[in-house]
Amino acid sequence: MNTQPGVFTGALKMDEVPIMQLRARLKSEIGDGNRLGLLTAADGADGHQLLTLIIQTQSGGVSLLNSPLPHDAVSYASLTPDLPQAHWFEREIADLWGIRPVGHPRLKSLVMHDSYPTDLFPLAEHVTAATARKRSRRAPYRFTVVQGNGVFEVPVGPVHAGIIEPGHFRFSCLGEVIENLEIRLGFVHRGLEERLTRCDWRMMNYLVEAASSDTAAANATAHAFAMENLCSVPAAPDVRKMRYACIEIERAACHIGDLVGICTDLGFGAGGTAFSALRGDVLGVAELLTGTRFMTSVIVPFAHKYMPAKPLLIEATRRLRTCSSQLRSILPLLLNNGAAIERMEGMGDIKTSLARDFGLVGPAGRASGIAYDVRKVIAQPEYEQVEWQPPTYFEGDVFARTRVRAEEAIVAMELAADMVSRITSSHEPDSSPATLPANSVGVGIVEAWRGELIHLVMTDSHGRVSRYKIKDPSFNNWTALSIAVRGRLLSDFPLCNKSFGLSYSGTDL
Amino acid sequence: MLPSLLNYLKSPRCTADEIFPDLSAANRGLPAITSAPCTHGEGCTLCADGCPTKAIELPTDEKPEVALDLGKCVGCGHCMRVCPTKTIVTSRSTRTAVKRREDLVLRAGRPTLNVDAAHSPFKQSVVVRYVSTGDNATDLEVAACTNPIFDASRFGIHFTASPRFADVLLVAGPAPLAMQEPLCQTLHAMGQPRVIIAVGAQAISGGMFCGGYANANGVSSVLQPDVWVPGNPPHPWMILHGLLLAMGHPLALHT
Repeated sequence: MNTQPGVFTGALKMDEVPIMQLRARLKSEIGDGNRLGLLTAADGADGHQLLTLIIQTQSGGVSLLNSPLPHDAVSYASLTPDLPQAHWFEREIADLWGIRPVGHPRLKSLVMHDSYPTDLFPLAEHVTAATARKRSRRAPYRFTVVQGNGVFEVPVGPVHAGIIEPGHFRFSCLGEVIENLEIRLGFVHRGLEERLTRCDWRMMNYLVEAASSDTAAANATAHAFAMENLCSVPAAPDVRKMRYACIEIERAACHIGDLVGICTDLGFGAGGTAFSALRGDVLGVAELLTGTRFMTSVIVPFAHKYMPAKPLLIEATRRLRTCSSQLRSILPLLLNNGAAIERMEGMGDIKTSLARDFGLVGPAGRASGIAYDVRKVIAQPEYEQVEWQPPTYFEGDVFARTRVRAEEAIVAMELAADMVSRITSSHEPDSSPATLPANSVGVGIVEAWRGELIHLVMTDSHGRVSRYKIKDPSFNNWTALSIAVRGRLLSDFPLCNKSFGLSYSGTDL
Repeated sequence: MLPSLLNYLKSPRCTADEIFPDLSAANRGLPAITSAPCTHGEGCTLCADGCPTKAIELPTDEKPEVALDLGKCVGCGHCMRVCPTKTIVTSRSTRTAVKRREDLVLRAGRPTLNVDAAHSPFKQSVVVRYVSTGDNATDLEVAACTNPIFDASRFGIHFTASPRFADVLLVAGPAPLAMQEPLCQTLHAMGQPRVIIAVGAQAISGGMFCGGYANANGVSSVLQPDVWVPGNPPHPWMILHGLLLAMGHPLALHT
C-alpha cells in the first residue's frame, strides 16, 4: 500500500515481506530508481522484525515493509552486498538489537562504543532466554589497517580542533596523501530512541529537537507530520506554511553558516565575516517569528505554538527579502573569487554512480547529479506557489557543493518569505487527540537543510509509542566524505569536510 | 567580484557596542520568578504539568514558594505563558551565568543572578578549549561569539585547538558515556590553574536526555564546573557572560 506522507490521506499500512524475499524485493525496487528511506528493526508479536521504508521517487509515495525474523532468530542474510546504502543501517541494527547481518562485508559497531557493556543491546526488549543465548557479545572496535611501505596513521579526534562536534577520523597516509579514511562515530550516542519511547508522547517534540539541535525546526516538523500521519489528523494550512517557513529559514541560516566555515577553511577571513554577519540577520528573522534563534518549541504535532501576529509576519517577509538580496550581493566574494575557486574546483569529487549506490541525499547528492529533493518528490502544495528548481550540478566537488548550498540559501529565503506572506491568521489551532491509536504506524519526511530527514513512529496494542526511528540525512552521506578525500592531501580534508557539513549527533542519536 | 568587494568595503561596522543588552522583544527569554503569590494552594499546577524536564517544584508545606531550576529549563516558554498570577514571568537578561549550581534554582525573593566577585585566576585574557558532547546548536552559538557582531577577542577571549594552551574548558552537550573519557582526558591535558564552564541546559542537567542507558546526564557526572550558563542553547551574550564571569571581569560583575 502506498501513501503520501506529504498530504496525509489515511493511515499507513505495512506490507509483510518474508525475510528470505526481502533482499530480492529491495534489489528490484531500488534498481527501479526508488530509494531506501530507512532500514531498522522493531519488536513484533513473535520476536524481532526488520522494517524497510521505500520511497518511490517517481510517484512520491512510500511503502513500508515488515519482515519478521523467525521465532528467536537473531540473524539474517545481509542486504549490503546487493545494496551498499544498507551498510550503516545494518551496523546500527546489530549495535542496538544484537541482530547479526550474516555476510556483511564490514560489520563493526557504529554507535555502541567499547565503554558500554558488550552484552547491552539497548533496544532489544523482546528477549527470550533463547535469543539472549544466541546473541553474541559485541566485538571490540578494530580500525581497518592499511599496510605498505611508509604508510602511517593520523588519528584525529574525537575532540576536534574547531568549535564542532566530536567524532574520530583515522587517516592512513602515504606522505601527505590520504590512502584511506575511516570515520568512527558514536561519541555522542545519547540513547535518543530509547528516551523517546520512555517519555510522554506530548513531550516528544522537545526531545526530537535535540536529536541534532542545529536542525531543530526540521526534526520537529518531521515529528509533527509523523504523529499526524499516525493519528490521521491533517495539519491546518497555516500551520503547514509556518512549519515549512521555519525549515527554509533554518536551511538559509545553516547554509550561510557553513559558507562562513568554507571561507575560514580557505583562509579567506573577509568572506567569513561578511557571511557571518548575514547569518546573524537570518537568525534575527527566526527569533522574530518564533521567539528563539533556533526555532525551538514552536513546531508541535496537531498545532503551532506562538503563532505570530500579522505585523510580525509582514516585517519577517520584508527582512527575508532583504537578506536574500544581501546574500546575492556578497556571494561573488566567494563564488567569483579565483583564489577560492582554485582550492574548491575538482577537490573531493563524488561521481554520480557512487552517489546513487550509496544513496546520497541533500546538497551533497544534488552536487553529484542526484536531483532528489523531498520538496519536489513528495507532494507539498506549499512549495508549488513559487517557480523554483533545486540547483543540481554533476561535478560533485567542493565547488559544486558550495554552489548548491549558496543557491539553495537564496531560494530558501524566497520560499520562506512567500510562505510567511500567505499566512492568514494568528489563531493557534489545536486538534490534539486524547490518546494515540493502537497498533499504528506514522511516517514524516521533510527536506532538512542536510537532506532527506525521516521520522517513523509505531504504537503498541495499548496506544503507547513502542518504536521511534529517526533517520538523519547525514547517516546517508558520511561514507561519501571518506571516499571523497581518498588520494587528496591531508591538509585539504577540513575544506572537504565543511563542504559536506554533516551532523554527528544526528547520526549517533 | 569587484562590485561585491566595493559593496563589502562600504558596509558599516557590525560589532555590537552595547555589552550584555537584553534579548530582543521578540525573544521568548528564560523564566524568572517574582514575589507575586502563587495559587498552587487553590489547586493550580499549570506550569509544572507542561514542563518537559520537570524543572518546576511546586510549593509544599515545608517550602512555601515555587522553585524553578534554570539548569533543567529548555526554554519552551510554557510556564511563563500559563502562569495566571505572574509568579513566573519572562526575563530577557543576558547576564545569566552563575558560579554555583544551586544559584540556578530560582525562588521568589532570591536574586536571579549571583555575581560574587570571587577570586579568578584570570583577569585580562583567557584561552578557551571548547568541547562539544552532543549539542550542536550550542556549538553554533559558541562559534557565533567569535564573529564580528559579538567579537569575543575584544574581551581577551581566544579559542584554541589544543588543551595544552587552554585556561578554560568550555563544555556543551549532555556528556554521554562515550564522551566521558575524552572529556576527562582533555581536562587533564590542561595546565593549572583552570576553569570549567558548563554551557547550556544539556550540559548542566542532560536536559531531555537525563536518565537513559547512555548516561547523558550532564557534565557534572564527570567534571565539577566552576561556572554554569543556562539556556537551550544559550544566546552568545549569555555564553560571553559565562566566560567574563569566569575571568572575574568587571563587565560581568557589574549588574
